[in-house]
Amino acid sequence: MSEIAVRTDDVWKIYPQEPFPVEAVRGLTLTIESGDFVAMAGPSGSGKTTVLNLLGGLTDATRGRIWIGDRELTGMSGKERARLRLERIGFVFQAYNLLPVLTALENAEFTLLLRGVPAAERHAKVLELFHEIGLEGLADRHPGKLSGGQQQRVAVARAVVGDPALVLADEPTANLDSGTSASLLDTMERLNREHGTTFVFSTHDPRVMERARRLITLVDGRIEADDRRAPARA
Amino acid sequence: MRAWILIRLAVRGLGRNARRSALTAAAMVIGLALLVFSRALSDGGHEQWIDSAVRMSSGHVAVQAPGYLETGKLEHRIEAATLAGVVDAIQSMPADPGVHAWAPRLTVDGLASSAASALPVLVQGVDPVREARFSLVTERLVEGRYLEPGDRLHAFIGIELARRLELEVGNRFVLTAQTASGEIEGQLVRVAGVFRTAVLELDEGLVHIPLETARQWLGTPGAATTVAVLLDSSLETESTTASLREALESEPGVRVLGWREASPDLDSAVRIDDYGDYLFHGILFAIIALAILNAVMISVLGRRREFGILQAMGLTGHETGFVVFLEGLMLTAVSGVVGMVLGLVFTWAFFRDGLDFSAFIESEMSFSGSVIDPVIVPLFHFRQIVVSVWSIAIVGTLASLYPALRASRLDPAEAMKFEQ
Repeated sequence: MSEIAVRTDDVWKIYPQEPFPVEAVRGLTLTIESGDFVAMAGPSGSGKTTVLNLLGGLTDATRGRIWIGDRELTGMSGKERARLRLERIGFVFQAYNLLPVLTALENAEFTLLLRGVPAAERHAKVLELFHEIGLEGLADRHPGKLSGGQQQRVAVARAVVGDPALVLADEPTANLDSGTSASLLDTMERLNREHGTTFVFSTHDPRVMERARRLITLVDGRIEADDRRAPARA
Repeated sequence: MRAWILIRLAVRGLGRNARRSALTAAAMVIGLALLVFSRALSDGGHEQWIDSAVRMSSGHVAVQAPGYLETGKLEHRIEAATLAGVVDAIQSMPADPGVHAWAPRLTVDGLASSAASALPVLVQGVDPVREARFSLVTERLVEGRYLEPGDRLHAFIGIELARRLELEVGNRFVLTAQTASGEIEGQLVRVAGVFRTAVLELDEGLVHIPLETARQWLGTPGAATTVAVLLDSSLETESTTASLREALESEPGVRVLGWREASPDLDSAVRIDDYGDYLFHGILFAIIALAILNAVMISVLGRRREFGILQAMGLTGHETGFVVFLEGLMLTAVSGVVGMVLGLVFTWAFFRDGLDFSAFIESEMSFSGSVIDPVIVPLFHFRQIVVSVWSIAIVGTLASLYPALRASRLDPAEAMKFEQ
């Protein structure tokens, strides 16, 4: 039996807006196994990004319970959640979200730095990963000097370098051309396959959906379909 | 380890917004330099007031008999035997820096009469040699000469008194006062010299005569009403007063007073001027605080996404706030040091010989018994510099707290929605 990477039980997220509260996520109950490659699809406003934020502990659930591995996220203090994110969760964002004050290498090694990994070990690990995903020679560049695809690769490197149990990727190919998207997906698939990292995407992109081994469709904050299948290209 | 990362992030944050950081730092540097300059000028002005006033009155420290300050009566005098002990105590005080000069005085209220008129005066019996080193009036000679050792029936008078009594150098007039025995007795004296201080009370109402002449006339052999002590700096007043009090503890017939007690009007004037300065400095500090608050706050608002990412990567809210707080502190520290140094160098380089206000104020302006010199020489007090450094540190800390609090309370999911 596979280990559980993520489990949610009747999770709701309600934004208290005037004149009516907005129910972004409604009663989400979900289990994702370790090593899975999951895409969450759905129209704009269906709650995909909110679900990823909830799973990453970036926002509080209004009610319901969330577990990352064997640790319950709901009810944790801000400090405990920060610790959990640092140790177990990696993020890839649509807008790359690299820290502009740091170089590509410093961005990628940031979580290792926070974990107190020695400099030599950090650099070796990041440079090896950079080699693996085609970022050789770009380590000292600041984000502003990198193309969109290169920035997103650095973001992927930052997400996976600490061997997290879970990588949450919010529309990672939305700002990339088709060639760069395919290349990035290849990279993430390989990392998933070789390192066993669990990936959960939110996406509109049919190419991402094709590659996913499980496709969850959200509509109005609820799961409308949950399709477990073999990916089109493994 | 993590603290070092936070420091690095703060330094990079300041460096990335170099233009904004530099503009804020420039505002702080100018404000602080202005503060140092203004404080040095203010302290220099006060020192001049105090110096002028104490040299025309009873010094930085006055040793008197109990009750003399309140009554001004001859019955409250220091007798010869006690006076010797007072002189010994003063001479045992440190000299450099410390006691610059001291002078015994026998002072009595009297009447000066000539064929033309009569006016109430303050008659001071003085030691001409000691007084010449001490008193400012001896430097304000306009005619004749000051008293000299060996003089007996000579008087040194103010120009207004001379005008109203129609006296010239060499003319005689009569001083009348109540002696120690309670009798009203007169003393004939001759005008040796005339002074002008610009302080009307002195120019019209002060007469110096030889100490021994006063003692004989008033029937108080070897006595004095005040021993006035002039120090190298008014900053030494409190310590010298305390030392003299300790040295004269066994003498019940004397009381040691600092200039603030002996000249309450001058004390009030200096305090009122200080309050004005504090108000000005308070406004300056508020402007500096707003500059820091504005710079750090804009930085926080413009970097919400960045702080959101930091928290997504594993930094806690408190650590994110600490990065912002450090940025504010670093900006304050660097600007503080540069501002202080610039203020000191600027003041020293351009105004060490004084700032001349003679175009704006009369050359002979007096205030609270003190002659205001239109040239103010800045004065640096170490204590003031320390106070300014602390004040800036506190202002910088407080101004950085609110933006830090805002940063620490950001919702990372919401923060990452914002464009950089």
